Amino acid sequence: MGFDGEGIGHGLSTIRLPPRVANLVKFIVNSEPKVEYDSARPIRPLIDEFTSLWTHQQLIRLLTVRDLTLRYKRSVLGVWWTLLNPLLTAAVMWLVFSQIFNRVSEDVPFIIYLLSGILLISTFFAQGVLAAGSSLLSGGNILSKIRVPGEVFAFTAGLAAMVNFLIGLIPLLIIMVLTGTPIPWTVLLVPIPTFAMLCLVTGAGMLLAAAAVHFYDVLDFTRVLLQLSIWLVPTFYPLEMIPEKLQFIIKINPLFSYLEVFRGFVYRGEFAPTWNFVYMIGSALFFLTVGVWVFSKSWRQMVVKL
Amino acid sequence: MTSHPRPIEVTDVRLAYQLARNRAGTAKEHLINLMRRQVVYDKLWALDGVTFDVRRGEVFGIMGPNGAGKSTLLKCIAGVLHPTTGRVIVRGSVAPMIEVSGGMNPDLTGSENIVLLGTLLGQPPAQMRQRVDEIAEWAGLPHMMDVPIRAYSTGMRARLGFAINTDRKPDVLLIDEVFSVGDEAFKIKSLERIKYLMSGGTSVVIVTHALKTITDLCDRAIWLDQGHIKEQGPPEDVVAAYRGSI
Repeated sequence: MGFDGEGIGHGLSTIRLPPRVANLVKFIVNSEPKVEYDSARPIRPLIDEFTSLWTHQQLIRLLTVRDLTLRYKRSVLGVWWTLLNPLLTAAVMWLVFSQIFNRVSEDVPFIIYLLSGILLISTFFAQGVLAAGSSLLSGGNILSKIRVPGEVFAFTAGLAAMVNFLIGLIPLLIIMVLTGTPIPWTVLLVPIPTFAMLCLVTGAGMLLAAAAVHFYDVLDFTRVLLQLSIWLVPTFYPLEMIPEKLQFIIKINPLFSYLEVFRGFVYRGEFAPTWNFVYMIGSALFFLTVGVWVFSKSWRQMVVKL
Repeated sequence: MTSHPRPIEVTDVRLAYQLARNRAGTAKEHLINLMRRQVVYDKLWALDGVTFDVRRGEVFGIMGPNGAGKSTLLKCIAGVLHPTTGRVIVRGSVAPMIEVSGGMNPDLTGSENIVLLGTLLGQPPAQMRQRVDEIAEWAGLPHMMDVPIRAYSTGMRARLGFAINTDRKPDVLLIDEVFSVGDEAFKIKSLERIKYLMSGGTSVVIVTHALKTITDLCDRAIWLDQGHIKEQGPPEDVVAAYRGSI
């Protein structure tokens, strides 16, 4: 009870106004700051996270640009590394694998097969998950001092990986033009697997981030696992190379479906089988939901350790 | 029924840090310890039943020895840490200066950090870009704006951080030992700004070891010791009680 603030409210309360009007006037004139933070507010998994991504759009954009430019700030070639990295990997793999496989599995040049796989699995998936997983540790200086939702940092890392992937599509399309490979109209549908992959990367990255805050060696394990995952799907080699009996090991991996859908759109000009679409979207939603849920539930314990 | 809600209300806050005995830093060690059933958690109560509130336009001091829970308390008010039990309510915008270069990135230049930190504090980036010159001017660093702040001295970083945090009038300003790194000129300048902000209704919470800061600046103060409030009230009394205990 009683007044302990100053302000115009006092003066107004002496004038008799209908209560509703008085409240409105007081609200406008006094413009009492609204409650910004209440530690007793219950956490709402998923709702809180998606709302905060929406309300922090400008911060996300800023952090993504910072992510993309800062990584190469001290190098001579700068952002061009974003383009060169997948190209060089593709070149090396091409040197190795074009000697091993004499039979051409598809009627496109092998380099296109390689580069499309590397961009999706290595540049987007593997690097994205790792970046999202370490995003809390690298953003610790901010997160332990300013109240910013942690999911913003994980999502930013996923977005940056997506931008790297999209930039990498430019040389892929250039190579297709140079090698006389027709560019199908289905290229316009590439945003579908791209968006699904963004969900997968963010979700898996958030799971990883939650674990990495508690035990730093989790990131080391993951680095090895991600290397392995690149080889567990036909990123570099044609699927036919694997004996028919064993191909299920590859097909059971959700990443295989992403590859099929993406390659179908980007140069085959065809839709991958329906089960690939179902598996892709299903796994994207599954990882996103579980990742965000776990992240949300463990955030308060995580931030203590940053 | 017009009781003005206080900008900061801290009600019976307790906060425990879980400390694993023979703490495992890696998942591998942790698994081994789990199998040996050697994971024993100790609870360290960094804050143990802290209650106070801060009024509009008031400077509130928090003092106490190392490890008393001062910074933990400030992080609770900043909304970074969550109390295990109890409740913290903060009304209005918060500018948390928990550490000298908190929220700043050493690889980014001065002006990039102004935009980044300003955006983290909730301003639109476009607006922050327009504020760069003025903030740099106030911090006395206009010639350093294109230099990564890695090259700044601690004092320069503190000046920049203070300038960004106080650029738009926050409703609540949290300051943790920032004055100890600045020179006299910076101290005088920032005190002037704090007074200006207070006149506009900003509440300031200062954490410090320096008893002089408490008596010179604060309207009220608490003395925190091992997570408890040992004494609270007018700064002179609190400081006297603290002095008497040493």
